[in-house]
Amino acid sequence: MKPADLDDLDRPWRTWASLIIGGMLAFSIVMGFVVIPVVQGYGAGIDPFTAICRAVGLVPGSPSTRQPTSAAKAEPTTQVAWSTQLLRTLSRPTDMGAVVAEGCVACHGQRGIASDPQNPNLAGQSAVAIYKQLHDYKTGSRANDIMTPIAQTLEENQIRAVSVHFAAANRRSLDPTTAEVVDEDIVRLVERGDPARALPACNSCHGFSAGGPIETPTLSHQNREYLARQLRAFRDSSRRNDIYTRMRSVSAKLTDREINRLAEFYATTLQY
Amino acid sequence: MTHARRLTLAHLWLAFAAFAVACVLGVWQMWARSPLPAPLLTANAYFTSVTAHGVAMAYVLTTFMVMGFGYYVAETALGRPLPFPRIAWLAFLVGILGVAMAVVTIFGGTATVLFTFYPPLTASPWFYIGLVLVVAASWAWCGIMIAAMAGWKRENPGRPVPLAMFATVANAVMWLWTTVGVSAELVFQVIPAAFGWNLGIDVGLSRTLFSWTLHAIVYFWLIPSYIAFYTMAPQAAGGRLYSDTMGRLTFILFLIYSLPVGMHHLFMDPQQSNAFKFLQMSLTALVAAPTLLTVFTITASMEIAGRLRGGRGLFGWIAALPWERPMVLATGLAFFMLWFGGGGGLINMSYGMNAMVHNTSWVTAHFHLIFGGTVVIMYFAIAYAIWPTLTGRTPASLKAQRVQLWLWFIGMMVLTLPWHYLGLQGQWRRVATFNYADPIIAAWGPWVLVSFAGGLILLASAGLFIWNLLEFHRARAVAFSALRPLYAVAVHPPARVPAALNGFALWNVLVLVLMIAAYGYPIAQAFWINAPQAIIHRVDGRG
Repeated sequence: MKPADLDDLDRPWRTWASLIIGGMLAFSIVMGFVVIPVVQGYGAGIDPFTAICRAVGLVPGSPSTRQPTSAAKAEPTTQVAWSTQLLRTLSRPTDMGAVVAEGCVACHGQRGIASDPQNPNLAGQSAVAIYKQLHDYKTGSRANDIMTPIAQTLEENQIRAVSVHFAAANRRSLDPTTAEVVDEDIVRLVERGDPARALPACNSCHGFSAGGPIETPTLSHQNREYLARQLRAFRDSSRRNDIYTRMRSVSAKLTDREINRLAEFYATTLQY
Repeated sequence: MTHARRLTLAHLWLAFAAFAVACVLGVWQMWARSPLPAPLLTANAYFTSVTAHGVAMAYVLTTFMVMGFGYYVAETALGRPLPFPRIAWLAFLVGILGVAMAVVTIFGGTATVLFTFYPPLTASPWFYIGLVLVVAASWAWCGIMIAAMAGWKRENPGRPVPLAMFATVANAVMWLWTTVGVSAELVFQVIPAAFGWNLGIDVGLSRTLFSWTLHAIVYFWLIPSYIAFYTMAPQAAGGRLYSDTMGRLTFILFLIYSLPVGMHHLFMDPQQSNAFKFLQMSLTALVAAPTLLTVFTITASMEIAGRLRGGRGLFGWIAALPWERPMVLATGLAFFMLWFGGGGGLINMSYGMNAMVHNTSWVTAHFHLIFGGTVVIMYFAIAYAIWPTLTGRTPASLKAQRVQLWLWFIGMMVLTLPWHYLGLQGQWRRVATFNYADPIIAAWGPWVLVSFAGGLILLASAGLFIWNLLEFHRARAVAFSALRPLYAVAVHPPARVPAALNGFALWNVLVLVLMIAAYGYPIAQAFWINAPQAIIHRVDGRG
């Protein structure tokens, strides 16, 4: 075949393929961008121009029935709002950290390891978790006779600095020979939860590679008395700074024995 | 054996080895979701397993199968040596390195993010880099496929490219378009986040970029099966291909309509507007066209074969088909599953109905039926068809192959039909365990057990498949089939075809137009709308 013949053979394909595909595209655009939004918007009392702008995404909303409004005032469980800028500062140590920490050592220990097991260890805890709790004390989301007045005297940058300071400290060392034999049902709670009670695994948020909220604290190497007291505080709702009542709903389903044994588990087990 | 045959064997063995491991994991996952107590079950173990299963099935099995089969087609359909065999081997090694990186990070517990790239949940960067290497290997394959066809066209000016190769290159061209979305997402968003260079990420943009890839990747997996439908099944049945032009049109339509449609995965997402979702939905509906063309053409081709074999009457030709041949049997079973899977797909792509099945088990069941069923059963048939030509050996009896195909079909139906039903009941996907103490969820239990039984049948079939492949290596009988042509001749073999049906220049232009219309504004808006950034959550313990 001559090239000219080939071109004759090919031209109708080029033309028709472009026309058909272009036509289908045009039909979809007219329907999706004009006809449907305008017709639906008409029923919802939205003028055609606004309806088209909403369909394209230039104006927020979609052309459906207007939603009822509410005058209820939101009451967040915490005032902390995470931002990348805040997280960045929580990864940078400053000189201010050690200075602010001077006010903490009496209860939380020189290196963030509390001498009284009623108080939490801060050493090696994530800076994000420490920041969240201090901020909550300051704003009243979490209340404690000692911590609330202390946190209220701290400025935002001091809270950030001291959080980073303790996060960098070495965690309490554990003597593996003192680790207690842990009950199977407690390990199961930690690793698997209890679907029959709709209890998620502790690990699903507190585990090493978990996908839970970023402010979730590390539990291993923590003091058992402190852990047990917090679980009970969540259970009787005297502590309420957990978003979506996550810990309140979990702890409400735990027995006294489970609370004690879980605290024991985290305080004495090397991993997790 | 030539270079390309060893190359094909290496690719296919890697693909099917990954497949076999992933089958074991899949069965365990269904066990974990059932009311029976599964061993070793923790949420972490479950998500590790789902990630490994997804990566092995969706990236390793498919990519290496497509590549290996492509090298085979390039050599056998074109009848000329594969160009750049060294680059092909190098790409294979790069692919293996990538797979190894993914395996180490998944089983090291630093990549429990499933096989979809949906931030802000972010895995170890080495997981993503490993998968990028697999994609890079497949790009080399695309280049070699295009070069092979171009070389053949230079030597045979004016002659139509054999359909099997035309389809393979359609897949390569589509794959180059396809991987732009996910590569952009990984290179510019996810990998920097995984290294900790960024703390925030625009998930609206990353989900949109992933959707660019998400539908076309399925056709990348599917096209080898369609190549088998068009070129191998009519030949195996002893007939002819009803229409070569229909075949070319089908693969062209796959190229065009697999790409500007991915937003049907984002119907429930807030970052895109209704009009663009509608546009992509209506383009998605056109994807039904190549499927229906194929059903028609292959049924007509089979009817020709059946009638040539003496079949009479309206349906008599069906009984007259040589169902004892694995390729014919697999085609019949694949078509049967295609009706159910395709029907489910029409529900998924409908903007309104999608809301009912979104994020439920329906979706998982759907893609297991259409991919694991229709596509993978044809992978088996392709393997059975080409393996004798690779090793020169064939088992004396094909019975074990037929049993394997039937087991796969039965297992897949038993697995997926209850799974669809549970999706309609509201069973959610991506969940490790269910609270069977809840009376509503308790009613799901028996159906999950049925699916689990289906999974066990599939595992038996997978085991038999590997055994059957080994038979090709150790059987005594010499494969006479190796000498038979594999590819069907059309009823009217094309003497000349227009350039539009012999290359992809026109179609690339049209794809570009459609992609700009469908994705131009939805992606561009991310650069001027100050979208809120989601905070990265890394699961590798670095975050």
